Amino acid sequence: MTYQRPFGLLLALGLMFGGLVAAPVVAQNGPLRIEIVEGVIEPLPFAVPDFVAENGAAGEYAKNLARVIASDLSGTGLFREIPASAHVGRISSFDAPVAYGDWKAINAQALVTGAVSASGDRIVVKFRLFDIFSGQQMGEGLQFAGTTQSWRRMAHKVADAVYSRITGEGGYFDSRVVFVSETGPKNQRAKRLAVMDYDGANVQYLTDSRSIVLAPRFSPSGDRILYTSYQSGFPKIYLMDVASVQARALGDQPGTMTFAPRFAPDGRTVVFSLEQGGNSDLYTVDTNSGTLSRLTNAPSIETAPDYSPDGSRIVFESDRSGTQQIYVMSAGGGEPQRISNGPGRYSTPVWSPRGDLIAFTKQHQGRFHIGVMRVDGSEERLLTASFLDEGPTWSPNGRVIMFTRETAGAAGQSSLYSVDITGRNLRPVSSDGAASDPSWSPLLP
Amino acid sequence: MDKGILFSGIGHVGLILWALIGGFFIRHDEAPEIAVTEVSLLSSAEFEAIQAASPTAPAPEAPQTDIATPTPVTPAEETPAPTPQPETPPVVTQPPPPRPEPEPAPEAAPDVVETAPEPVPQAPEDPTPPAPVAVDEPPVLAPTVSSRPRPKPADRVAPQPTEAPAPDAVVAPTPAPAVTPEATPDAVVVEEEKPEAAQQEAGTELATEANKAEPLAPSASSRPKPRPARRAEAAPTDAPATPTTTPDVPRDAIAEAVAAATAGGAATEAPATAPSGPPMTAGEKDALRVAVQACWNVGSLSSEALQVTVTIAVALGQDGKPDIGSITMTEFTGGSEGAARQAFEAGRRAVILCGANGFQLPPDKYDQWRNLELVFNPERMRIK
Repeated sequence: MTYQRPFGLLLALGLMFGGLVAAPVVAQNGPLRIEIVEGVIEPLPFAVPDFVAENGAAGEYAKNLARVIASDLSGTGLFREIPASAHVGRISSFDAPVAYGDWKAINAQALVTGAVSASGDRIVVKFRLFDIFSGQQMGEGLQFAGTTQSWRRMAHKVADAVYSRITGEGGYFDSRVVFVSETGPKNQRAKRLAVMDYDGANVQYLTDSRSIVLAPRFSPSGDRILYTSYQSGFPKIYLMDVASVQARALGDQPGTMTFAPRFAPDGRTVVFSLEQGGNSDLYTVDTNSGTLSRLTNAPSIETAPDYSPDGSRIVFESDRSGTQQIYVMSAGGGEPQRISNGPGRYSTPVWSPRGDLIAFTKQHQGRFHIGVMRVDGSEERLLTASFLDEGPTWSPNGRVIMFTRETAGAAGQSSLYSVDITGRNLRPVSSDGAASDPSWSPLLP
Repeated sequence: MDKGILFSGIGHVGLILWALIGGFFIRHDEAPEIAVTEVSLLSSAEFEAIQAASPTAPAPEAPQTDIATPTPVTPAEETPAPTPQPETPPVVTQPPPPRPEPEPAPEAAPDVVETAPEPVPQAPEDPTPPAPVAVDEPPVLAPTVSSRPRPKPADRVAPQPTEAPAPDAVVAPTPAPAVTPEATPDAVVVEEEKPEAAQQEAGTELATEANKAEPLAPSASSRPKPRPARRAEAAPTDAPATPTTTPDVPRDAIAEAVAAATAGGAATEAPATAPSGPPMTAGEKDALRVAVQACWNVGSLSSEALQVTVTIAVALGQDGKPDIGSITMTEFTGGSEGAARQAFEAGRRAVILCGANGFQLPPDKYDQWRNLELVFNPERMRIK
């Protein structure tokens, strides 16, 4: 019997080992479950062949529409166009079935097909979006009708729809930007208000260059523009109707200077800075009645206010702590709470249309940055760094920030740049010359 | 023999052989190809005969001593010179007219006259090609069982084959008689009550997929069900609660180890729905994970969709290719339904894209990976 114990021990160990080895079998009773936690961040390849011209007059638009759509999508940095020279398939009819294999062969993951017809001064644009690898159409086809002059807007609308269907968030292509156009040397620069498409096309000037203009801001509906002008010799706020290009002073008080205006989300109230006796505080004014309300009363400089998307809070900059910092307070005033806590100076805060982030300008160690932070000041991220970056403005979908970048030196000049909130896709924005102080409109109706 | 003579003899013999048959083994460099034109040799008599027979050929003349003015060679009458045909006028493709840039709106304000988007009035024909009809494999009769007697395959190999135990018998590695606790009032150690156990069925050959008896059934039919789970009472966990035992009794430790191992063995008995076959190793799972994540592109996802973790179920064919129609979202967490849909689309694209040529998976473990659940967790991919 002396051999039984070692044998038993060996048997026990063997069975235990066997049980451990068999353990994975126990773990899988259903489908094999794999967790994917790492992916790639790459532009999604897509193809936009020339639209089908359904009549002779539409021929000139068929190609241009496709080019603008491709430019819109590629400009986001989220998509990569497969050039037409690589296309295998041809779209000869809008209603013809898509040969998915032809597009799969060139690794296109999305395909935009469209057609355009023109009659007189009106054109009709229609499109479809296809998911190549799943072999199905994404959403229903859409069509837009408008004048021939608005063909770019229709291209932007198609691009917005494509962007929205693929990314799940709204687009920003059918929007405009108001900015300050600059000409002349740095020490004698002429400035005038201008408006353009978000991509720099269709620049139109709203004011002449006889007086300096600053900080234009679109209304929530995009039909009015607030700006600051030195027309009277002192900075004062003006409200311009975009359709008539007529402007009037707003919140004008004798012996004061007003500047840095912003619309409230309701489009009626405007918050701004009013300087009187060397002290600047925040006020609101009703655009209809002209009634003023004071929000802050401090010996420090309070300026650059902006509303939260729900209109309940205001973010602004103040030097009450000794340096420029960002504060948040209730829309009706009250004790502000400082949210910027990093080193350096913070200014020009702008609330994201989504409400989750605040963009700002930061000056630290001799460089300027455009950054974003949570509304409580956490998770600060700097997106850019240069000699001078300032004045961020959000795209309508809260995905992109446009700002002013000025180069150093006497010959340096201002220009507009845009950057994704991830910090990627930093690119200049065409603006027909030097430009500064951009303000993005909401999506056009 | 003198080595010198030997080497000399070998050398001479080799030289003679090379001289005789060396040409067979030596590849001569081929001369560069030359364009060859076939010619035929004619004698002077033949040439004169041909000249005489030719009615149009001019008689050979004596060479002129003076240099005549060169005259234009008149072509033969029967072969009039082709008059130069006017070439087909090239189609003058008019360059496309310059694209008229839309005139800027006269007024400063943007002229918004665009109509609201309308749905396409007529639904186009579905460009989606019809889904391929799933065709079952034609039934194939399994090969007949060889008449040659084969050793009995079993799940266990033992020196001596044993017969299958009774269906309701408790199976243990070694046969053991039933043990009942002794009713001694002063006993400190109480034996664990165990039912009588029979020895496991064993054969002389391990039962594998290769030597399992082939059923006489179409190969496309459902797989044979695994053996029914052993009776619940076989698991030692169902044994009656044992009284407290002293830790210094090695026999109890062995019994516990055996019981634990037996319990594990019982647990490995797969339920009726569990896949059979060897399990996927960690390396094989990692390979699949890497293959999918290489195509999981979250670059075009919204920040909201990047908050959503989606679980996607997909069925794979034996070639490792995903059945696109089977890709479904089974659950999602962390966002709205719209965001989840976008996250699902990204995951689905990853499966389709990287599975287009079939995932590299072990074919012998098809039952393990034929149904996948892929959990796409973008936590590390979010904007930081």
